[in-house]
Amino acid sequence: MSFQEKNITVSLANFSLILTIYLISLFLMIQGGSFNSTNVFRLWGIVIALAVLVTIFATILTHILSAIVQAIKTGEENPKIEDFADERDRLIDLRGTQITYFVSSIGAFLAMLTFVLGQPPLVMFSLLIFFGVVAQIVGDVSRLVLYRKGF
Amino acid sequence: MGQSLISNNIRKLRFFHDEMTQQQLAEKVGVTRQTIIAMEQEKYSPSLELAFRIARVFGVPLEEVFSYDDESKSR
Repeated sequence: MSFQEKNITVSLANFSLILTIYLISLFLMIQGGSFNSTNVFRLWGIVIALAVLVTIFATILTHILSAIVQAIKTGEENPKIEDFADERDRLIDLRGTQITYFVSSIGAFLAMLTFVLGQPPLVMFSLLIFFGVVAQIVGDVSRLVLYRKGF
Repeated sequence: MGQSLISNNIRKLRFFHDEMTQQQLAEKVGVTRQTIIAMEQEKYSPSLELAFRIARVFGVPLEEVFSYDDESKSR
């Protein structure tokens, strides 16, 4: 597994965790009758802050763990990690981003449709962040598939 | 996605160049070892620039490294 694939796998795990936290929090909010703008926007903030912080820490952790594994394998003091992106990595990343944008566009459209169905704006905001995270997960999965199946 | 229409002799050429490793070739042409593996398994068609760089490493014309055979694979 290349460094890029490891990075994507970690990102996929992070966003799956964030989605689980988001859905559980939303479910508890609806169950407890506290589905109001203050709580929904606080959840928005938590999800965005988590996404940024966890991504930064995960990238650092992937670098450190890769260096440790490489050092154990080769026995070198300063192991070389292939962490640069070549033309294939860039193409796969581009395709993944394309898929992420496509899914988030569909999600944004579906979220807007809730207005037509007479739902309150809070439903639209909840769906927007849900589809944003789902789009990221779908993008990461498609990147992994492209690495495995060929591109 | 999937099998490429472009086949190559990279594995054979590496063998005839003192069993050059995938890592050595990757370093010479400026890509990762994973990209060399993907090319050898015909899961990735390189850019024209990379194809020329590979041919230059082996000191052979481009046609000796890569060939395009759409007929045999479309059957």
